[in-house]
Amino acid sequence: MSANRSISGRSALIAVTLTLALVPLALGGSAHYLRIATLALIFMAYTVAFNIVFGHTRQLFLCLGALAGASAYFSVVLTMKLALSPWLTMPIGIVVAALLGGAISYVSVRRGLGVIFVGIVTLVFSMIFQNLVLGLRDWTNGETGLETKAIAPAVLAGGLPSYYAILAVLAVAFVAYHLLMRSRAGTAFQAIADDELAAELAGIDVTAYKVLAATVGSALLGAIGAIHAYYGGFISPTVYALGSIDIVVLVTLLLGGMRTLIGPVLGGILFTLIDELVRPLGRLNVMVYGVLIVVLVITFRHGVVAMLSKRLKIRLP
Amino acid sequence: MLAILIDGIVQGLQLSLMAVGITLIFGLGGVLNLAHGQFAVIGGIATALLMGEGLHPLLASALGVLGAGALGLAMDRTVLVPAYRYQGEERLLLGLLITLGLSFVVNGFLDVRYPTVALTLPLPTPSFTVGGITIRTASAVVALIALAAFALLFAFLKATLLGKVVRSIMQNEVGAGLCGINPGRIRTLIVTLSAMMAGLAGVVQGLFSSLGTELGNEFTSFALIVAVIGGVRSINGTLVAGVLLGIINAFASYYVGAYLTLLILLVTAAGTILVRPQGLFAFRT
Repeated sequence: MSANRSISGRSALIAVTLTLALVPLALGGSAHYLRIATLALIFMAYTVAFNIVFGHTRQLFLCLGALAGASAYFSVVLTMKLALSPWLTMPIGIVVAALLGGAISYVSVRRGLGVIFVGIVTLVFSMIFQNLVLGLRDWTNGETGLETKAIAPAVLAGGLPSYYAILAVLAVAFVAYHLLMRSRAGTAFQAIADDELAAELAGIDVTAYKVLAATVGSALLGAIGAIHAYYGGFISPTVYALGSIDIVVLVTLLLGGMRTLIGPVLGGILFTLIDELVRPLGRLNVMVYGVLIVVLVITFRHGVVAMLSKRLKIRLP
Repeated sequence: MLAILIDGIVQGLQLSLMAVGITLIFGLGGVLNLAHGQFAVIGGIATALLMGEGLHPLLASALGVLGAGALGLAMDRTVLVPAYRYQGEERLLLGLLITLGLSFVVNGFLDVRYPTVALTLPLPTPSFTVGGITIRTASAVVALIALAAFALLFAFLKATLLGKVVRSIMQNEVGAGLCGINPGRIRTLIVTLSAMMAGLAGVVQGLFSSLGTELGNEFTSFALIVAVIGGVRSINGTLVAGVLLGIINAFASYYVGAYLTLLILLVTAAGTILVRPQGLFAFRT
């Protein structure tokens, strides 16, 4: 047996970014496929955020859509009502998402809630968010949603520029993730994911690190949520519903592999391919989707990164 | 006033009927069943289909409830088996994801196969009057069915040896195993029973108004809220929480409208988890 080789995080990062940068060339100028690829990038970035929150600190946030949507709605509504530049309102949205995520995390850690209870609290939070958006009709236009095309930043209006702008954001997210995991916090996350009690006993401030992870992750969710809003052209409660964001991200992370750097990318690619294969089935796709979740969770729980590592005998980041 | 109260209590009993299965499966199996509302829908739709075949409504309902139970049994013996191999949080997480996937399968299947089927069970006399208050016959029937189901459940848990076994597993699975109890078989029994109670709640929905295929997720969310407020391990708690939420729901819908009502319920649920994670009414099982 050959010795286990390993690929460093930095080279994997560069390789992944370069590969993704070449994707539009392979698509041969098809606007339809470019849009699918761009949405895949958005979901990869969501997954990176979820990986920090859930993968590394075991906080089951089922309010990804709600956090992303809170940021998006804040940014869009402020831009519309006060005629501000979206560049000014996006940071506001990001701060709102980060504060919400941090607060949820702080309260749940202080109350000592287990994984499942964090899941339920955040699930209830996302239901509250959905209802608020539906109810505050004057601002959010309820079910119908708001058009964002007219106020979108120029860079998010065209097909190709959007792709590269969003890829740049994804790359920044990866670098941030990489640096975070190599720092003291990354070691603390590792300890917390392995055994929370042992981490606490070893003198790690579990509360602080969990809240940190939730805040960073939520800020990232907020940033992508706002970009998603402007790129997508319109926002409505459905865009940020549990089924449209949270479930997709959860499956993507499981497919790719938790606590890995390239898992979100590989998972995102796989998910997009599966989604495209299932799409022609029309109304049958919800069912196929469900079958896939069950089968994947049972048989493929450690994700494609772990599988590749084992097969190729290479340690992947 | 009294009419609203009665309405609330009856709705609450139906909610409890739905939620008690979540409590039981969580307490005994350590799995939070996100496909629970789908059991209710399966029970109801099966009843509607059987009635379409010309069966007597009572027989159809019984078969519908059994059908929901069969689905529960199948879930426990097939897809949940990998989850049972683990303990604690790992099992919870796997169970959560598997049942989530299952709820997609059921939703998708019903939507494709029976998109227009709905269950309505009209009663011969729509309402009757007692002491000056007009009561819908449906409400009375639903209340009776729910109370009977709960009475049977409590009798089973408190008065039979098997019930004692169930309670012992809820208290400590390993300890029960050491006493020679096979937790797996009891779990299968309880999951089936819980699915049947959900199916009954679904059939009962057909008495109130109508049950369509799209209601599964809504049922699951409401049942989850009730189970959480009652304390996800306490059956009395679930019963009390369901009735209380039903009453709040009825009064709030009457005075402030459906939109704020749902928000009030959701905030209550979130508040309960944060203030008293063991549930508002966490008495012993």
